[in-house]
Amino acid sequence: MELLTGFETAFTWYNLLYCLIGVTAGMLVGVLPGLGPTAGTAVLLPLTFGMEPISAIIMLSGIYYGAMYGGTITSVLINTPGEAASVITCLDGYPLAQQGRAGTALGVAAIGSFIGGTLSIVGLALVGPPIARLALKFGPPEFFALMVLGMTMVVGLMGKSLLRGVIAAVIGLNLALFGLDPVTGAIRFDFGKMELMNGFDFVPLAMGLFGISEILSSAEAKLKAEKTPKIQGLFPRRGEWRTTLSAIMRGTGLGFIIGLLPGTNSVIPAIMSYSLEKKVSKDPSRFGKGAIEGVAGPETANNSYAGGALIPLFTLGIPSSPTIAVLLGAFIMHGLTPGPQLFQKNPDFVWAVIASMFIGNLMLLIMNLPLAGIWARITLIPFKLLFPIILAIATVGAYSVNNNMFDIAVMIGFGILGYLLKKVDIPLAPIVLTFVLGDLMEGALLQSLTIYKGDFFGLFTRPISGSILVLSIVIMVISVWAGVKNKKGALAQDVEM
Amino acid sequence: MKNAGALVGFLILIFAGTLFFQALSYDYYSDYGPGPGLFPLWLSGLLIVLSIAYIIDCYKKNIIQLKDVLPKGEGLRKIILIMVSLVVFYILAPYTGYSVAGIIMLMILFIKEYKWYWGLGISVVVTFVLFYTFYSVLNVPLPVNSFGL
Repeated sequence: MELLTGFETAFTWYNLLYCLIGVTAGMLVGVLPGLGPTAGTAVLLPLTFGMEPISAIIMLSGIYYGAMYGGTITSVLINTPGEAASVITCLDGYPLAQQGRAGTALGVAAIGSFIGGTLSIVGLALVGPPIARLALKFGPPEFFALMVLGMTMVVGLMGKSLLRGVIAAVIGLNLALFGLDPVTGAIRFDFGKMELMNGFDFVPLAMGLFGISEILSSAEAKLKAEKTPKIQGLFPRRGEWRTTLSAIMRGTGLGFIIGLLPGTNSVIPAIMSYSLEKKVSKDPSRFGKGAIEGVAGPETANNSYAGGALIPLFTLGIPSSPTIAVLLGAFIMHGLTPGPQLFQKNPDFVWAVIASMFIGNLMLLIMNLPLAGIWARITLIPFKLLFPIILAIATVGAYSVNNNMFDIAVMIGFGILGYLLKKVDIPLAPIVLTFVLGDLMEGALLQSLTIYKGDFFGLFTRPISGSILVLSIVIMVISVWAGVKNKKGALAQDVEM
Repeated sequence: MKNAGALVGFLILIFAGTLFFQALSYDYYSDYGPGPGLFPLWLSGLLIVLSIAYIIDCYKKNIIQLKDVLPKGEGLRKIILIMVSLVVFYILAPYTGYSVAGIIMLMILFIKEYKWYWGLGISVVVTFVLFYTFYSVLNVPLPVNSFGL
């Protein structure tokens, strides 16, 4: 019933338009190398300032899941992933294109992405409300423990080195300390600058760390526009349908479950789905030479992940990836507090956004099946034309946050910082995740300490918070052990999305 | 200093040290519970420890030489141009208005890539589209000159 009301809101002409703008921008972000979904969402976030919160989040979510579709096109056609999650698609997608079956690879990816994306939104609609109801019983200690778990998984899973991941996470937490103390209201670390009295704004920080640093890195990497092969025949052969659909269903389940875990990213389900498909295949030697399941499984998994990863955001207010952290920033900017009360206090908003995702996935299917050739031509836009335009959008966007030049300086500063940190293999994702959670985490910890009269170990006496904190410690110990034994393997690939 | 990792580690150490000494001036605990200095003191202290561990790691295990990560040739030129264009925009915009500063910023980036008239044309079009979108449609009070641009 609530979902039907959501569809009613999502089907208004302006929300349909914003959804279309969002998914189109997402496709562009995915198709164009040198700009990931996080940077794309952050750079376009200021465009939503004047919008209603529902329309704004509908558009920004569209960029998020739209980018997952777009990244496939460049992976298949020119062997260059448009965003990190499509890296694995190059392995079999590009060989298929070389065999003259680029259309089939793109068609299978689009069908898989649609099924995975849609079913995971069904999962969000079904699983979200009960989790939110359960989370309503949580107090500050439980929320603090959940945030610690999220951070532990981020630093444990991301990056090549645990030490570098932890440093990044603690830098983010320190940056969140600037401005008002969430409990006493005291002003900290303003260094006599009025602009710092409210701390760093999230938008220029994220634009700098992801947008500017990505442009600097890409400018150095000499990205070139490449000619794409012709696209024909979008569907698999009759004998391939069964294996394709099985891979799609496995990818859907895998992506959704991994999406529920805080601290994961969309590359993990794609890699896991690829290795699963290889394991269940009767002839694993086909993989890497153009196996259709090698495209169907991972592409479905990363889109299913995108829906699943929204559950921790909607129900607990905890972002599971940097792009979701940008979405969390957008929620807060538009006066919404993600978390268990969102379903109770703003049901119109939640269900309209969920409904818009069904519509957005359908729009993306249409865009990708008959219009794949047009998107392929967009890859021909040269980077030398594109990056100055992105810079121009970023500067005006950063300015519009508080209408002052200081935010542009903040964006430039964090752009340089991001570029330097990338050079020395310090991951950027934990910085932005902990920066977003810093205030909430400090508030929850200080309230918990007040409850337990300053005794930190009191948090271990509550069953839920105690169990989650112990789990966090176990994950940290395993990460340290894996780091020492050098067993982080594929999951340790440093991905900035 | 030739070790890029250690150099970044020292910068993080200076940042953490500054926060730590500043945090000492805030109340650690008050009559009503934890004060505004508790979290900053612990977190900046932790960052000091981590940055020292990182510097040691950079010297002993994961050595990243500055010469290996510094951009060279064409890449360096592009990065310098990007930085110069952003700084020029930042300095000029309050005096010349958004439009003039925006056109100059884009011209700096296009000048080596396209013929000057193409570069100027693209810069003018992009700047005015953005100006119109943000200033007129989204009502963002962008800095303007006496011509209202």
